[in-house]
Amino acid sequence: MNPAIEIRGLQFRYPDGKEALRGISFTIADGECVGLVGPNGSGKSTLLLHLNGLLPESLPKDPNVVVYGRALNKENAAEIRRDVGLLFQDPDDQLFCPTVYEDVAFGPEQFGLDKEKVRAVVTKALETTSLLGHEHRSPHHLSSGEKRRVCLAGVLACEPRVLALDEPTSNLDPRGKRNLIQTLKSIPATKIIATHDLEMVVELCSRTIVLDQGTIIADGPTHQLLGDEKLMLAHGLEKPHILRHVHPH
Amino acid sequence: MRHDFLDRYSRLDSPIHRLPTTAKLLSTLCVISATVTLHFTHAWFFIIVAGVLLILSALTTIPWRFLFGRLMVLEPFALGIAVMALFQENGVFVFLSILTKSTLCLFTVILLSNTAPFAEILLSLKRFGVPKLLITILALMYRYLFVLIDETERLNRARSSRTFSNSPIRKWHTMASLIGQLFVRSTERAERIYAAMSARGWK
Amino acid sequence: MHIPDGFLDAKTAIATGMFSITGLGTALRRAERHVQSRKIPLIGLAAAFIFVAQMLNFPVASGTSGHLLGATLAAVLLGPSAAIIVMSSVLIVQALIFADGGILALGANIFNMAIVATLCGYGIYKILQIFFRGEQGRLVAVGFASWCATVIASVFCAGELAWSGTALWGTAFPAMAGVHMLTGLGEATITMLVIAAISKTRPELLEDNDQAVPANGRSTAFVYVALIVIGLLLLVAPHASPLPDGLEQVASSLGFEHKATEAPILPSPIKDYQLPGIPSAGTATIVAGVIGALAVFALSFLFARVLARRQKSAVHPSSPPNRQ
Repeated sequence: MNPAIEIRGLQFRYPDGKEALRGISFTIADGECVGLVGPNGSGKSTLLLHLNGLLPESLPKDPNVVVYGRALNKENAAEIRRDVGLLFQDPDDQLFCPTVYEDVAFGPEQFGLDKEKVRAVVTKALETTSLLGHEHRSPHHLSSGEKRRVCLAGVLACEPRVLALDEPTSNLDPRGKRNLIQTLKSIPATKIIATHDLEMVVELCSRTIVLDQGTIIADGPTHQLLGDEKLMLAHGLEKPHILRHVHPH
Repeated sequence: MRHDFLDRYSRLDSPIHRLPTTAKLLSTLCVISATVTLHFTHAWFFIIVAGVLLILSALTTIPWRFLFGRLMVLEPFALGIAVMALFQENGVFVFLSILTKSTLCLFTVILLSNTAPFAEILLSLKRFGVPKLLITILALMYRYLFVLIDETERLNRARSSRTFSNSPIRKWHTMASLIGQLFVRSTERAERIYAAMSARGWK
Repeated sequence: MHIPDGFLDAKTAIATGMFSITGLGTALRRAERHVQSRKIPLIGLAAAFIFVAQMLNFPVASGTSGHLLGATLAAVLLGPSAAIIVMSSVLIVQALIFADGGILALGANIFNMAIVATLCGYGIYKILQIFFRGEQGRLVAVGFASWCATVIASVFCAGELAWSGTALWGTAFPAMAGVHMLTGLGEATITMLVIAAISKTRPELLEDNDQAVPANGRSTAFVYVALIVIGLLLLVAPHASPLPDGLEQVASSLGFEHKATEAPILPSPIKDYQLPGIPSAGTATIVAGVIGALAVFALSFLFARVLARRQKSAVHPSSPPNRQ
């Protein structure tokens, strides 16, 4: 079986000259759940956008993002976007339709599914995110937690094999956060989660990648990396409370 | 923050709210067309329209205070233009005619907008053959209206917390740069929305 | 300037409705064919932006306040076709959700504020840009164009009211044009300030505005110009005729004379409305308009100079686009 995601020597520079990624390489196996941590501006979000081919400037260069054996290029970007579902940082950016139902149905409709199938997929996604019964609400009447869950439902409705989540728990109250973590746990897809929420990483991810200034600083088992106080402090992070009693090594 | 004030009552549950939006949209159009085109001498018609509108409003369970409040907010604009009608032969008659007509039409639209959610009005318009691109843009606009209002309030608060002068010139400057900032943020958000749309298979 | 329902008769509503469908349809077709899908969300967001910008109050003397119309601002920021779509969307939402502007009057409102105002604003801006360059030139052009766009749109509005028989041209024209010569000053000032603010933080946004919907093709430009000319001929020209009773002339030749022949049911409060000392209110308004335009141009020029100088003296921050 091909690995879910393979990245080889990925570099990226924004048009204004800011260097965001400097030679990143890693592989994620099918079904794995990986935490992506690092200080602000370390390149986490940029990296996630690359998984989806969303930075058009970067596409024509040599193929360095491979999703399930297919190298991402301009021609197959649309197809690969179906495999990689991306949850954006700000739910308001992602929730662009006037009602919950229309928003969750947006992806499947774009992929050309017929009405019945769309309905089935949307219902399933709403069920997973416990949003059944909210179909006709408008986004501006939703709480932050609900908004986030609708975004997730919209991504799930595209039936991706990989979920790439950008700060999924930011701006959520503890209950919203708990609900979201439970939902994520129940989803079998391969997951890559960029976040500052290290407690969640400990709970969800067996493996963690630490990113700083566009390079990978460390890549290994979550408990080992996040338990390493020195490493955490050196990169603007903090050893999570749950791991306080666990010693590295 | 929520901005329910814009469409607070459009999701109540009443016999009128349960009617299909397309029917409501079409009957609104019919009522307004008839009201506008019929000569004012047919007073019976306008009395019937007013009566029907009042009965419908009672059925919607929307507070009277709200409905008439909306009407009172909009009436001055109509009045302002209607005054110009006075300066002609037969002016008072024309003045009364257009004021009655516009008040009835205003009330009809207020009823429509508070009994039919905009998302559904858009779906009806789509069915009537309004170009898809316009529907997409209207939907995006309606959706982000609320986000932008929030953003404006935040920007405005952040500014006033650091503004210590009350001069109107200063105020105009601040407001204008606030509008400028709002545009810059809108373009940035549009980029992110485009990314989110493409991520879910948009052409 | 939002005309409510009840103020326009059927013929005016239908005629302006057809103009609007043609204009908006042309803009939409242009956008469908030439716009990159990348820019569609921008048009939607710009519509929300103009809507919110119109909601903000600017304090004027003694407790009153004014607000922006934004037609010229939209045209300068996004190009004419995108601006027509943006302004139309704003008016459609205002009419349907807020009952601000009528439903049957939507055609007229779109024609005045989304088509005439944006196109005149854009046209005047572009023409002035040929003669006035640089930061100051842009601001002069923006200011003068916004004032003209507001006044011209209000003249069309007066024409529609007169054609409908709602008000006499002799009343509607001086009243509408007069009021908007004043509010146009606010419009010009705000638009200049906003453009100056944007050019200070993100000057590149002002450079590629035509890319939202690429520069007009010849056929699109033809439709736009034709619409304005037909609008002028139908709504404004008949009244501007030297004959004293231009309206009646046109009305009788078109077969609408029944309006005038109806017996008065109530007596009119003022007969033969005329300003003393001046041959007619219409002529007085035109004279005032020309003087006003010259004065506004001079003011724009001075104000642009002040703004441009402030711009230069301020440290130019090269703010990178905000990306995560």
